[in-house]
Amino acid sequence: METIRDLIPPPHIEGIKHFVDFASVDEILRSKNFRQGSHQESQPFFGDSLLTIDQDAHFERRRLQAPLFRKEALEYYEHKELLPLIESALQECKETRNESGEVRADLCALVRTMLARISAVTTGIDGVDSQERTDAFRTYIEQLGTGATVEWSTEDHSTVISRILKIREGFVDEFYNPSVARRLDLINKFRSGDLSEDDLPRDLLTLMYLHWNDDWDDELPLREATLYLVASSQTTTHAIPHLMIHLHEWFEEHPEDYEKRFDREFLKRAGHEAIRLHLPSPALLRIALKDVTLSNGVEISEGERVACLFTPANRDEKVFGADARKFNPYRDTANAKPWGFAFGGGEHTCIGRTLVTGLSARTDNDDGTDGTLVNIAHALFRAGIQLDPNDLPTYTELSHHDAYGRFPIILKDL
Amino acid sequence: MKKNNTFNLKVDVEICQGTAYCVRVAPKLFKVGQNSTAEVTKADPGQEFEELIIEAATLCPTRAITY
Repeated sequence: METIRDLIPPPHIEGIKHFVDFASVDEILRSKNFRQGSHQESQPFFGDSLLTIDQDAHFERRRLQAPLFRKEALEYYEHKELLPLIESALQECKETRNESGEVRADLCALVRTMLARISAVTTGIDGVDSQERTDAFRTYIEQLGTGATVEWSTEDHSTVISRILKIREGFVDEFYNPSVARRLDLINKFRSGDLSEDDLPRDLLTLMYLHWNDDWDDELPLREATLYLVASSQTTTHAIPHLMIHLHEWFEEHPEDYEKRFDREFLKRAGHEAIRLHLPSPALLRIALKDVTLSNGVEISEGERVACLFTPANRDEKVFGADARKFNPYRDTANAKPWGFAFGGGEHTCIGRTLVTGLSARTDNDDGTDGTLVNIAHALFRAGIQLDPNDLPTYTELSHHDAYGRFPIILKDL
Repeated sequence: MKKNNTFNLKVDVEICQGTAYCVRVAPKLFKVGQNSTAEVTKADPGQEFEELIIEAATLCPTRAITY
């Protein structure tokens, strides 16, 4: 099957200037002469969240949220939340063993289950505990993700927005409102001196209500929480199936590397390649704040929207070499981040990047964390992951995203 | 942290994208230098700068700061 596809620009970016080379995209993302231009239709889900605000407002919001991504917080998420959740999700798979003794699963759903609680913990959603509640929560995140990326949907967009807003009401009643109520109660106790600040949860909702800004509307924490819930699971859920199929092909072509399936450095490099080639956000839009002439001479008028196409930019041979379109875990990316624009760029670089790549990924100290990609891939290989030759993965038809919709696997060593 | 209780503060200019967030939170430690990327102005800051250093390093969108 075809595992590396070209981006077909979706209808919402037709008719505007496209930038496809690494240098131009990098220049636009770094420039202070542009503001965010994506997520116009998905405003009901992401409006005024960190993703859609710029400059001073963005800096202040990011500064508020940065403590969630300090080194000790990332270590806590990984060691206390992610690793046990990976194990328990695999253990639950065992209970589905069929009459032939095989453990089968859908990788897309399995990864979402593994990440559900870490999404809940960083955001501040309580009650994601039992299997039933985790399944319900995971389904809400999937649906909210559909609404938050409605621009890419192959369905009628207004129908999608209406449907997901209705579903969101269920999420608010079942998970969000009780979580906010508990945090408001804790914050009141802190303000009255009955609790210390250290006793408060360290999560997004607590931070927002503790440092409430009267310029915010009452629903902003819900939209910010939606961003966190969707983004914290989307990159990994999107990337793991691509990573697994590329490694499957790589080990077939390079059997001498098969033993490296437990080598965390090898898995890290492979993970970077998977997200470089298959971006969770394949294009972002920017709006020029004034007339701009790029280094390559291209002129952009004040107010003009332009599209940065990350998929071709991340396959730019000038940056990633002559084999840039191919998966190569030994790629030398000395002149660029190994994942290219997988986490965007400039001030809007994904705040949760280190959750995915780990802290020891090139830019940080040697100690730290490995991130979701390496830990989940490692656990899947320990469980003996295999593709089902009679039921191969298929791409989603509900979105223009380069994403798998079904990914049947066999976990032969469980 | 070095043995003499100072931080080995660095900015990786290949990764820095010039948002200058570090300059905004810790102007005594960073400045915007050539090519609009951040530069360290105090290479061996002492422990009294620990909180500022951690905030700048965590806030940096590309996490280009090590210490």
